[in-house]
Amino acid sequence: MTKKILILLLILTTNVLIGQQKKFQINGAARGYLFSNKLNIDESLDSVTTRKANYGHTLLDMGISLFPNKNTEVISMFRIRNEIGGFWGGGVSFNVRQLTLKGVAGNKVKYEIGDIDLKMTPYTLFNTIEEGAINEGDVFAMRREIVYYDMFYNEDNSWRMQGAKVNFGLEFANVIEAIKFKGFITRQRPTDGIVEPERLYGGGTINIKQSENLSFGFNSVNIFDLTETIQDSIQYKNNVHTFNLLYKRNLRENISLGIKTETGMSGAQYINYKDARAPESINDYFYDLAFVTDFEDKKITVELGYKDIGADFLSPGAQTKRINYSKFPGLYQQISNNVTGRPISYTDFISGNTENSIKISEELIPYFAGYNNMNPYGDATPNRRGVYLNLVRTDSVKFKNSFVKATFMTQSRGTGTSKKKKFIQIEAGTDVYINDFFGWKKQLKLDLGLRYENTSRTGEVYEKVKLNSTFIDAGISWEFAEKLDLLVGAKVWVVKGNTYVNLRNQFNAIENFDILDYNFSENTYASGLRYRFNDKNTLSAQYQFFDVKHKDATSVNYGISQFTFLYSLTF
Amino acid sequence: MKKTTLVLISVLLIFSCRKDDSENFDGPDLNDLFGPFSIIQEIEVNKKTADFPVDNTLHFTGELSKNTDWVISITGASTGAKRSISGTQRVISADNSTWDGGANSFPGFGIETAYIEISFPKEEGSPILYDTVSITGSKVDAGYLITSFENGEGANWSKFNQSTVQGKIDCASGESAKGNCHYSFTGNVPWDWAIGSVMIQPSTANFGLPASASNLFFNMAFKPIENSGTGNTFIQFWFDEDENGDGTFDLATEDRFIYEYWFEDTGWNLISYKYSDIQFDVDGNQVSTNGNGLPEPGKLISINVFYLANKDNGLAKAYIDHLIFTTNKPYTP
Repeated sequence: MTKKILILLLILTTNVLIGQQKKFQINGAARGYLFSNKLNIDESLDSVTTRKANYGHTLLDMGISLFPNKNTEVISMFRIRNEIGGFWGGGVSFNVRQLTLKGVAGNKVKYEIGDIDLKMTPYTLFNTIEEGAINEGDVFAMRREIVYYDMFYNEDNSWRMQGAKVNFGLEFANVIEAIKFKGFITRQRPTDGIVEPERLYGGGTINIKQSENLSFGFNSVNIFDLTETIQDSIQYKNNVHTFNLLYKRNLRENISLGIKTETGMSGAQYINYKDARAPESINDYFYDLAFVTDFEDKKITVELGYKDIGADFLSPGAQTKRINYSKFPGLYQQISNNVTGRPISYTDFISGNTENSIKISEELIPYFAGYNNMNPYGDATPNRRGVYLNLVRTDSVKFKNSFVKATFMTQSRGTGTSKKKKFIQIEAGTDVYINDFFGWKKQLKLDLGLRYENTSRTGEVYEKVKLNSTFIDAGISWEFAEKLDLLVGAKVWVVKGNTYVNLRNQFNAIENFDILDYNFSENTYASGLRYRFNDKNTLSAQYQFFDVKHKDATSVNYGISQFTFLYSLTF
Repeated sequence: MKKTTLVLISVLLIFSCRKDDSENFDGPDLNDLFGPFSIIQEIEVNKKTADFPVDNTLHFTGELSKNTDWVISITGASTGAKRSISGTQRVISADNSTWDGGANSFPGFGIETAYIEISFPKEEGSPILYDTVSITGSKVDAGYLITSFENGEGANWSKFNQSTVQGKIDCASGESAKGNCHYSFTGNVPWDWAIGSVMIQPSTANFGLPASASNLFFNMAFKPIENSGTGNTFIQFWFDEDENGDGTFDLATEDRFIYEYWFEDTGWNLISYKYSDIQFDVDGNQVSTNGNGLPEPGKLISINVFYLANKDNGLAKAYIDHLIFTTNKPYTP
């Protein structure tokens, strides 16, 4: 049987290679991923949790793209996953990972149906990156990419959804150069037939390019429940409409000055809800206006902006977090003799032990203030106003992807008091190619990232907030032999101070506050070897040590050491 | 370029016109949740002597440093009647602390001294405040009072008591649910569940009740003392209606609605139900009567309160008090 399958695959592959007109294409990914974990905790604090946890899997994502005609493509991807140790079919799962029909209608309108990736602007539909990575080193990035791949968290910050999208454009000879239209409709939730009505999410953009110097657009995203899909007549709606504009003008050769802005409004409605806490509607607006200067010859961009996001600005497509910090990680879910839930750490995401969002949420998902208190919901975080300054240098010989971002924000409305919190956040990072300093051919790269955040509020004793969070992210990758890299990395997060975190109800209204008093450091150190067969095929083994050290006596100190073996292949 | 800059600055200024929310804030007040507790203005009752038929109500005033739970407990020195008023507001005033002289449940307050205790359950180490009020006039009940047994037996009442049972009005024992008197049944009836009954009939043609039964509630206080517990004690009410208006009740042609109430606990209980509900049994089925089958309170000419108890348990003893009809809602002591 195995021989027959191999022969069939060979024939099919040969057909692809020698065929005059491509009828189908095979792509996909495969990996083997093994974990050996050990919980490090004082015996007096925890004598009940099993210390070691070993597991792993192998999987194959087999993608087949069919081309019935030159304008149509049918993409399917199947996943076969086998948990290590699940012999003879035990632990094997077989899933459809992707099914998409795409094509061009009338040589004008592009369409996609099925599994589609969608992204608009940071205030409408945007999959904001999670906490715990500032220009991180390869030793962490290569494992994070596995999670991204599994969760469809693409580099362009798009969300994977199920539905349909179309786009088409018109070109003009005068006044404006082109207009592009994009539209989509997705199904966010099927009805349960009892209490949850079916939920759809749709929207679109119109982008008008007047010239190379001026372009603007209108964006709209809308959530709406379908009535009559349950007996009850409740209906949730959320509409976000924005306008964005980009204008630039050459001041002199290789230097341009421009403005970049987006402004808009949101409106959420809770129709026929019986819960007395449900507001009839919540409306607010935002604006974000920045002056942008490009020094093209030096590849430097300077952005100085001011933004004001209303306290009631609700844009689920842009505010949904990837990680829900109120939940517990999959590994060592409970620790200590009191069997308390272990809080999610940033390293749990890298190891694939967090429950990640796969659809947008109308509720603001709980966040971890120690990691990010200023913009936990990305650029669209509500109740923030202030200035920001971004300097980005995209490329140089020895330094690449260098950036410094400084943001100074306040709340636009107090929470629990009329006094407002103030935020300072500084992010910086660069890739240093040390080999270029010495003229070495083999790459020796140092990745550096820093994030500092300060939250403060003055007032009475019970109003005061002072929280500092410092995160250092560093990594080295050194090709010490042909295609063989030594990888080391460290992440150090030090958090000290106090704050209050909003406890919201399902309608996003603040009902209470959680008093948080932090004084801890979370450190992760990793090292490993990676062999690159080619750009798409790597084999690596690494050891990672993570620990949490609290300065107060009531919190539990612990650590997790982890050995992983990863074989990764894309084709 | 200057034009562009001007346009941009104008846009920025327009955008910057967001209403300043400097006074408002989201969520509960941090002062209420985590601020220190103190009494800014002493909490006082506005009258030391309460004549409720004249004054109607009394109230408390005071101010706290924060919104927090407070409880004002009022206890009758003689009756043991209890009333608690609670709130969370920082300012205590007539808006949130008015007392109409009523109790939470039976017994009600009489002419007596009432002890007042004010506490703040969520504030650790907070003081407990004490005060007293002298009640010189009890609250006047809204409704149609049938009897509170304060004026003795009516001329048209009739009683039934087993030979070993004493059924009578007791006064000044300090055990009444309301006022000074109540009706008591006491006796050992080893051969029968029926202990005794009192049939209350008006001295005029009827009780003067309104015609509509749908918003009229019948209420009575009942206190099993002996022979209580699960399945041992129940009360039967017989409501006799003079449908033809001849001034007498004819069981063969007119409605007698019989309604049962079973009791498990001791202490004063409030029996209260809508008069229109007496046409149904516990399963919701229409009861059989010999008249038109419709509860018509305007035609009610007799209420018989029939006390029954388990014959195997020895002595049976119970009190009844304060029969009253109220409109729209059950009676509040």
